[in-house]
Amino acid sequence: MTTESVIGALKRARSGVGNGGSGRRLGGRERRRTFSHSRTFLFFVLPSLILLLLLNVYPVIYAGLQSLRNGDLLSAGNFVGLNNYIAMVQTPAFWHATGFTVVFTLVGVFGSWSIGLALALFLRTRIPANGLFKVLLLLPWVVPVVVSATSWNWLVATPQSPLPMLAQALGLGNVLFLADPVLAQVTVCVFKVWISFPFMLMMMSSALASVDVNVYEASKVDGASSMQAFGRITLPMISRSTYISWILMTIFCVNDFPSIFLLTGGGPVNSTQTLVVLAYSTVFQNFQTGPGVAIAFMMTIVLVIIATVLYRQIRKVNIE
Amino acid sequence: METNAVAARNLFISTATHASNDESWPLPVATAAGKETVMASQSTGSSFSRRGFLGIAGGVATAVALTACSGGSGGGSTQAIKFWNMPWGGTEFNPLDKKITLAYKPKTGSGAATYQAIQWANFTQTFSSAVASNTGPAVSSGGGTQAFQFANQGKIAYADDLLDSWKKNGIYDDFFDGLVDTMKTDKGYAAVPYNLDVRISWYNKTLLQQAGVEPPTDWDSYRKVCAALKKIGVYGFGLGSGAGNFTGSHILTAFMINNGGGIFNTDKKPDCVTPENIGAMEYVLDLVKSGYSDPAAATYTSANVQSQWKAKKFGFGWDGAGLAAGAVGDVAGDLVVGSPLVSPSGKKGGLYFPNNIMMYKNTPSQQSSEAFLTYYFQNMKELWAKKTGIGLPPLKSIADTAEFKVDPNNVKIITEWQPIFKTWAAPGGTGLFYNIANTVDGTAPMMTFAQSILGGKTDAKSALTALQSAMEGLMK
Repeated sequence: MTTESVIGALKRARSGVGNGGSGRRLGGRERRRTFSHSRTFLFFVLPSLILLLLLNVYPVIYAGLQSLRNGDLLSAGNFVGLNNYIAMVQTPAFWHATGFTVVFTLVGVFGSWSIGLALALFLRTRIPANGLFKVLLLLPWVVPVVVSATSWNWLVATPQSPLPMLAQALGLGNVLFLADPVLAQVTVCVFKVWISFPFMLMMMSSALASVDVNVYEASKVDGASSMQAFGRITLPMISRSTYISWILMTIFCVNDFPSIFLLTGGGPVNSTQTLVVLAYSTVFQNFQTGPGVAIAFMMTIVLVIIATVLYRQIRKVNIE
Repeated sequence: METNAVAARNLFISTATHASNDESWPLPVATAAGKETVMASQSTGSSFSRRGFLGIAGGVATAVALTACSGGSGGGSTQAIKFWNMPWGGTEFNPLDKKITLAYKPKTGSGAATYQAIQWANFTQTFSSAVASNTGPAVSSGGGTQAFQFANQGKIAYADDLLDSWKKNGIYDDFFDGLVDTMKTDKGYAAVPYNLDVRISWYNKTLLQQAGVEPPTDWDSYRKVCAALKKIGVYGFGLGSGAGNFTGSHILTAFMINNGGGIFNTDKKPDCVTPENIGAMEYVLDLVKSGYSDPAAATYTSANVQSQWKAKKFGFGWDGAGLAAGAVGDVAGDLVVGSPLVSPSGKKGGLYFPNNIMMYKNTPSQQSSEAFLTYYFQNMKELWAKKTGIGLPPLKSIADTAEFKVDPNNVKIITEWQPIFKTWAAPGGTGLFYNIANTVDGTAPMMTFAQSILGGKTDAKSALTALQSAMEGLMK
């Protein structure tokens, strides 16, 4: 088939007929039928659409209006415009929480992705009890975060807990995993990676399964090393899944309230406070609904921007 | 969340049931509907004509209007009183509490009572949404400062008339001295005291003996006790201020009150940076920096604190009245309530939270709410007699019962601590008020303040100044 005939076939296909069709444009009757079909489909979709609007759009609009008022949990309060937003961005607590949210998210996304990918690659090799390993590795993701956080608290909270005792035995002294602000930040980040890597393991395992082994064999014939194969074949071939998993994990990390709240409550002295924890404490502990919702809205906007950038990257990968 | 949803659903079902049981409700509807149905069949022969339908609708509307008019909160009503109570004790608390509630036999003209246990998880949201939508209870307990928040929103029915009636039947005089005054606001009594949550000192008598010291009586002797305990590898300033544990901030406030200070002035405004408070926090910081406090205490949850008592790492510490009944294992028998300490100012003092029961304006009848509460206060002593785990009683008659006096720790709290307790409002006043809820009671600034002091990397004045500034930002 020549280039011209291919373009012609595509044009015909776009105008509603197959490759071998006449290429005739839709007539009035067909257009009416198509419109009627669209209307029927819309009719079927309408209940879901209404539900979606009621359950998602209405609360968002309501919350948006709340962020412009100085109310509390009981009363709507007075309209204050963007004052809540301006007030929040002027507080050091907001910027500290933003900074730690960025760190928590970066460590959470790339830490869990690195471990998940490494384990996915490892599990592709022939190892005994492969299935059992996969199940065991999924446990941190499967176990409810309340249970995980309580277990970790038991592991690290007091000087008599197993990990501080181990640190003591190794000559590291009295290590305060949760009471020292920096160590508390490290602990919650490690906890996040621990509960998140099974998700990445699943994503990467499925992505790797879709890579044709013939490509690797061909690269081996061409003399590519393992590292070259990983960098030039594996990563590009799984890039679409990688970007999707990054988007999802970014959302999970930024919105992760229970991990931090259960482990440290945002302390000590706000050192592990992320934006979502700050929003919670602003609304439900300090009873400042407007500023708290304003924080949540700012988080949403940033998340949408990040997701859009990564989504464009996915589209770019598809085109390439 | 799911529990709340189920609770809300049950409440809806319960409300519907009571509405249909109400004598005044179905009668006019049935009468009107019946008449119109007969008329319709006479004129057209149809069983459901347009005119008949309009007639039924009109009848229903009239009946609803009449019911609405007769159901005002001013007069009497036979509609049931919705009572919501929290799980104040162990698993046996709510079943017994429900039994007491449902055993209420109202006099003619008053409604019976329904019971709903509300879980502590998300209770603020549960009450807020229910009260805001007028689907809430007529009478409830809740958070210690909840009544003052709702009073500020105009949702509370003040208890002045109820307390007046209690002056005649003896309940009023049965309250511990000064307790009722903690509920007094500028507009009236926002609630009535129900049970007392207290912050007191505890010590392990075996560990103190091992350290060769007597229980402390003042701040100086307390420091010596801490030093002696440190020599045997035990902490003398045992407490926690981690996730969900606000005890640390309560204890620091208690030390301020002990020294003649506190958080609020007479104008009900934060006044944290005072010589009394600075002195108290310098003393606490000295305890922390001397190694008498567990270095990880700033992040201890209640469970962590109990595990430290259990592991005999805490020899002296500060907690609620229920510490010995908690998960402290074998040391429970060794735990003894300490005596209040005398501060360098020569004063004694402590912090307590008079949990309370409030009445709402959204009630079938204010008289019925008050009648139910009178019954409840006359019959609630079983909750203490059967050791359900509820906080200390507000009534002297309950504290005088043999069942209550069996525990010497309880007796010590009532005899030595109760008279010197003050509320969050100290030193400026006694009565709780609206701004306490959003500035100090379980708020983020108080938690940050406690963690900074217990971390030991600050000075008293800086920490108090930061607290003052944060609280001013939250005042309404």
